[in-house]
Amino acid sequence: MTISHHPPDELIADFATGRLDEANHLVVAVHLTQCPACRRFAGAMEHLAGAALEASEPVSMRADAFEAVLAKLDQPQPAPRAEVSSPSTLPDEDLPEILRRCRFGKQRRVAPGLKMQPIILPSASQSRAFLLWSAPGARMLQHSHSGTELTCVLKGSFSHEAGRYGPGDFDFGDGEVDHQPVVGPEEPCLCVVAMTGDLELHGLLGRMISPFVRL
Amino acid sequence: MNAGLPVLSRSVRSKPSVPVRPWIRLQRTPFERPKATVEWAELIGRVAAHGDRDAFRLLFEHFAPRVKGLLMKIGTDRETAEEIAQNTLLAVWRKAAQFDPSSGGAAAWIFTIARNLRIDAARRAMRQARADQPDAVDDADDIVESPEMLMTRSEDVSRVAAALLRLSDEQSKVVRMSFIEERPHAEIAEVLGIPLGTVKSRIRLAMNRLRDLLDEPT
Repeated sequence: MTISHHPPDELIADFATGRLDEANHLVVAVHLTQCPACRRFAGAMEHLAGAALEASEPVSMRADAFEAVLAKLDQPQPAPRAEVSSPSTLPDEDLPEILRRCRFGKQRRVAPGLKMQPIILPSASQSRAFLLWSAPGARMLQHSHSGTELTCVLKGSFSHEAGRYGPGDFDFGDGEVDHQPVVGPEEPCLCVVAMTGDLELHGLLGRMISPFVRL
Repeated sequence: MNAGLPVLSRSVRSKPSVPVRPWIRLQRTPFERPKATVEWAELIGRVAAHGDRDAFRLLFEHFAPRVKGLLMKIGTDRETAEEIAQNTLLAVWRKAAQFDPSSGGAAAWIFTIARNLRIDAARRAMRQARADQPDAVDDADDIVESPEMLMTRSEDVSRVAAALLRLSDEQSKVVRMSFIEERPHAEIAEVLGIPLGTVKSRIRLAMNRLRDLLDEPT
């Protein structure tokens, strides 16, 4: 698998320092599981964050802080929460491990040749995540974003002005992008997407159906 | 376990207020094993091997106030920062055996623990806020557990360590200030004593160099 499209450096740094909203965090994490180069880059960011920790100005702890922690050292650890199993809603796909641990909502059709399945992230504040299937050869409606759209391809491919996106590739769209992706003819394209804000559909058809397209 | 240990604890104890910055030492002596890094790693090793409370105290006294300071700098309130700093060190005690000394990054490891605890705290707060809404669904489960550190493969670890060693002090500093500490370019220019117009290109050069170094086989 050759990955040719990667998240912007800033996004990986935000991931490594824990600044991303839950849905964005998940989609970047999916890319990192597929991309050794970005994984190493994120690791380098963690090391630089360690250097920032060393260089940070110490702030005194409460007087009883050490004693409070000492008192907890021998207490049994709380048992890890049981994993949420949801076989009924887990899509029938060969998903990366990190996605198989997620909980999914109901699959639904968005438009002809396009279906989605939400990923349930109770703590996401601004972004939402979902799986998106599109039929081979499908031409998506021309759209732009009021927020950001982070996409990682899991299967199949799509293309737009910036190139062709295959498995593992990462596409970052923001308010400045106005594009019309075309799905590759070889097989359905499956992506994991994190989105903030709304899609804005263009063209007469887009304006006509936009009340019905809810992602 | 190690004949050097008494010396080690003395040297750390004797200067408790001097911040040890393994990173900077790393830059100055690229061909030696960075001493300060080994010290923290050794202390974590002693906690893992014997539940050594003296070693733990040294780690606590050094890192807890820095975790608190870093969290407050990035906008966490004092109360939460204190709690996360305490829990970070508690996790250091409990997870000490999971620390890989060959990664060379005791501070990075502790950072990732603090980071994950901060993410957890933020998510709990978000869920709490949702639960207060009338139509909220009770979803108390943590869905995505973040791994402690991204790099679990030793090949990755050694490549990252090698790449960071070869980045110049100036370059690692500019990347750290811009991407990790998110300082404005004007402040970076002032700290490094370079023109504002140069900051952007220097960051770009440093990032490209880091990417290149990470791609090289060790």
